[in-house]
Amino acid sequence: MSEPILEITGLNKSFGPVHVLHDVDFTVRAGEVTALVGDNGAGKSTLVKCVAGIHPTDSGQVSFNGRPVTINGPRDAADLGIEVVYQDLALADNLDIVQNMFLGRERGSAWMLDEASMEKAARDTLASLSVRTVKSVRTPVSSLSGGQRQTVAIAKSVLWESKVVLLDEPTAALGVAQTRQVLDLVRRLAEQGLGVVLISHNMADVFEVADRIATLYLGRMVAQVPTRDVTHGQVVELITAGRSGDLGLARPESATV
Amino acid sequence: MTSTPTAGARPDEVRRHNRTALLRRLHVAGPTTRASLATELGLNRSTIKALVDGLAESGVVEERLPRARSGAGRPSLLVLPQAHAAVVVAVDIRVEQVAIALVGLGGEMLGRNSWNLHGRASEPDEVITHVIESTQVLAAELGVRMVGAGVSVPGVVRRSDGFVHEAPNLQWTNVPLGDRLGGALSVPIRIANDAEIAALAEHLRGAARGSLDAVYVSADVGVGGGVISDGSALRGTAGYVGELGHMVVNPRGRPCYCGSRGCWETEVGELALCRALKLPEGTPRGAVVAELRSLTTPERITAVLGDFREFLTIGLVNIVNVFGPELVVLGDLFTALPPTLISAVGAEVSRRSLVSRAVGGTRVLTSAMGSDVKLIGAAELAFEPVLDMV
Repeated sequence: MSEPILEITGLNKSFGPVHVLHDVDFTVRAGEVTALVGDNGAGKSTLVKCVAGIHPTDSGQVSFNGRPVTINGPRDAADLGIEVVYQDLALADNLDIVQNMFLGRERGSAWMLDEASMEKAARDTLASLSVRTVKSVRTPVSSLSGGQRQTVAIAKSVLWESKVVLLDEPTAALGVAQTRQVLDLVRRLAEQGLGVVLISHNMADVFEVADRIATLYLGRMVAQVPTRDVTHGQVVELITAGRSGDLGLARPESATV
Repeated sequence: MTSTPTAGARPDEVRRHNRTALLRRLHVAGPTTRASLATELGLNRSTIKALVDGLAESGVVEERLPRARSGAGRPSLLVLPQAHAAVVVAVDIRVEQVAIALVGLGGEMLGRNSWNLHGRASEPDEVITHVIESTQVLAAELGVRMVGAGVSVPGVVRRSDGFVHEAPNLQWTNVPLGDRLGGALSVPIRIANDAEIAALAEHLRGAARGSLDAVYVSADVGVGGGVISDGSALRGTAGYVGELGHMVVNPRGRPCYCGSRGCWETEVGELALCRALKLPEGTPRGAVVAELRSLTTPERITAVLGDFREFLTIGLVNIVNVFGPELVVLGDLFTALPPTLISAVGAEVSRRSLVSRAVGGTRVLTSAMGSDVKLIGAAELAFEPVLDMV
């Protein structure tokens, strides 16, 4: 079995006097959906932003594909193949799907964009993800539903051959049926061999798509377990109390012995 | 059929037949001009006009001026099937997950959903409840009414009423799936073996389009195959066929749950791949794919997948010798195999199989439909009886 695609060890992060992440270890494996769960303020979004290079970290090692790397900014993360999809859909409303997918990285010369090749690449990418719910790649994003927009945002990460995709509550702003479609896409992303991290508050969603569940509790990583080994109840206990039976934080009385 | 063989066809029957043929053509091959419909169906232009007008009036098709013109003269109108005119639900039950999709006329997927099965979630009651609930949510969101349902099951299914005798990898026995799903969704339902359904999809819309004899083989946890013979699906007594995965290729191999030893499934299924790649049993599908993709050099491929390649070849040689297909389409997990391995296997099959040599080389391809092939096929299965009625 090969090494994890992304491995973080001993990550610490403070905002001024507030110590947000304490010695966090986090592993992402290629081809698996890892759900990152935790209470509000547990540090989920901070962890994702540290990985994406948006926040500098205080200490900790990151290794990508077995090699130690340093991520000093979003550009470093993008160069490694780490892409982030946010819940507030970072797409330009007045542009169509192709223009959005290539925004800032257009093909062609300065005088003439290669529209045909971009359109074909966009169509191929959507087809490779079996997205058959978008009618034309020339549809303006403003006329798409929330679920379709999120689909475009996710497809963008595939187009740029990302290795790891971090999704920060991709379904928080969506209705029930659209949530289902996005989660369906998340799973297909993993089936193509990408490492996927899904932040979610919805236990049902987590159990439907995730292969592994990582739980943060007050800035500490308390457990990373395969989904099939735990129950809903155990994960809820981990989120709210930081421990559940033998899982999670060590009990103080046993720690002192 | 009410008419006896001696009675002639009445005009309304002929009309009905032509209408269905035209609709099927539009459904499978997409928008076409009236002129080419007339040529393809061998019907008079005025007959086509009458049929298309009737369909347009009931909202099943729409006519539009074609954008690109070819040749001189008045352009022929383009006839487009309307997806919302007839919507079916396609259900793909697999060992580790279930996927559903609402599919409109013309094959457009209007909405979809899927979920993992672990623990109790794979029991028949849980699966049936979840399928019904999420179908209703999707249909309500899209504002469509379903007219049919098609279900793909990895097991032995009775065709007439969708009774699942045995789905070993799911651990289902004797589940009246057709009655229970059909009753709750209150639509006509058709249920078939997953490999047969996938073969249908490849035959109608995929790599095997236009070939009369083709075999589809897929590897999931189990290995199964569907056979298209002379343009239609090959079915045994009551529809029990397609257990190609239980053909014995290695008499000294591992015992199989079916009671035999060294079945093809035990040598080329997902578990065999996991063993070859040294992954633990129960590794997620994506991780297996990622591991296969990381094999880039020919030396590594031979070292890791040498035995696997030999057993894949042996099985395919048997299949080609028995069924004599024009091409073999490999699906599911097989699509993640290195392309060089697939072409090597194809060449080896042509060398070893005398049927392949006789027909000038049977082609071995991978499916281009990805993991959606069974959903697409299940939708086509559901559309079969529906096209007469819309």
